[in-house]
Amino acid sequence: MKNNLEKQIAEYVTKYKENHYRLAFSYVKNPEDALDIVQESIYKALSAKDTLKNSDHIKTWFYRIVVNTALDFLRKRKRVGVMDEEILSTLEGGAVDHYQNIDLQRALDALPIKYRSVVVLRYFEDLKIEEIAYILNENVNTVKTRLYKSLEKLRLQMNDDVREGLV
Amino acid sequence: MKDKNLEQLKREYLDVPIPKELDFVVNKALKDGSRHHRNMLKRVGKVIVSLAAAVALFTAVLNVSPAFAKTVAEVPFVGNIVKVLTFRNYIINEDTFQADINVPQIQGLANKDLENSLNEKYLLENKKLYDQFMADMEEIKKNGGGHIGIYSGYEVKTDNEVILAVARYVVNTAASSSTTIKYDTIDKQKQTLITLPSLFKEDRYVAIISENIKQQMSEQMKSDENKIYWIEFLGRELSFEPFDKIAKDQNFYINEVGNLVISFNKYEVAPGYMGTPEFIIPTEVIADILVGHQYIK
Repeated sequence: MKNNLEKQIAEYVTKYKENHYRLAFSYVKNPEDALDIVQESIYKALSAKDTLKNSDHIKTWFYRIVVNTALDFLRKRKRVGVMDEEILSTLEGGAVDHYQNIDLQRALDALPIKYRSVVVLRYFEDLKIEEIAYILNENVNTVKTRLYKSLEKLRLQMNDDVREGLV
Repeated sequence: MKDKNLEQLKREYLDVPIPKELDFVVNKALKDGSRHHRNMLKRVGKVIVSLAAAVALFTAVLNVSPAFAKTVAEVPFVGNIVKVLTFRNYIINEDTFQADINVPQIQGLANKDLENSLNEKYLLENKKLYDQFMADMEEIKKNGGGHIGIYSGYEVKTDNEVILAVARYVVNTAASSSTTIKYDTIDKQKQTLITLPSLFKEDRYVAIISENIKQQMSEQMKSDENKIYWIEFLGRELSFEPFDKIAKDQNFYINEVGNLVISFNKYEVAPGYMGTPEFIIPTEVIADILVGHQYIK
């Protein structure tokens, strides 16, 4: 029974490894750290597999682990004082120049983490509001409010940056 | 916010290049599996139990009879009773805060100055870890929570007639984990601590060993594309200083068969998923500059 669970986790993390990598990358913004987070998340998942009550929920369960691992990582980096996370994302946004719409990307990166998380999970990973609520350990209404505010902020910032042209 | 914009953002999100190491990282993590931290601790736990029983008995005798202690210290097989055991163990287990700190203690050395200074060092190192952990925990609690963990322990790497090599490791988990390992290599017969410089006649060892390690790194990278070390390799660009040379007092130990092993901490010469790399230096590479062949064969 236990081995079966372990096998399901192994299959799942192998199949969706790219999703997990992208999610981790969206937080830490560099490949080395994103790989580390994927690795650490798998360790955590395997050692905490008993907390997965129903294997139908493996996706949200594992996403929750990845998000928490990434947040812990950022928190640690902040504490160590290497660089403030928001300064970092602005810099990264500027350094990478293949974006077709730099202002849009920058506006997203400039969002505080908790807002950015809901945008990423809802629109890029196509998760349901209820699933996001579970992953972020918030209630459904909080997620809805954050999502609404995120879109609001994105719109505002874009308006400031490029008054026209994004209609 | 137009859907068009969101779609554009989503495309960019999906366009993030996937490093070729991802496969390797996922497979390795699955292989190491849940045994990762837990097993490290379990293994140490076992050692503690068996050693503790033997040592408890022995210290009892030593304590009872100073005369006996003296006799034992003079017996030639004295080397074999030098032991490492867990002196103290601190455990913190509060949902998101986990610490398991094990302080090793060396016993049975006749050179009490050496024994005491090593044991004091171990105690101090671990006390620092503990204090830091408590401070971090308070700070994180104030800031609304988070997960941190610390595991420290030790492992006897070599225990033969001549050499006792003890590794102490610290695994620091806060999101991504960092691991540091330190070694003490003791000559049980002479009752002295062996340092890396003391093994060699001249300072050239730094250059010679570094060169050999860089060669080993290149070879490993050539034969396995998932392996990465931070050295210049096939014109690959590095975003930071490549590995240049070992420190004069680089971490090392001497293994059971008498080879010199050079060790690096996580992130020191390679990305995190490579763990804590170790390199066995072939004895013929350093034979010319060794002070003697007593330790390294």
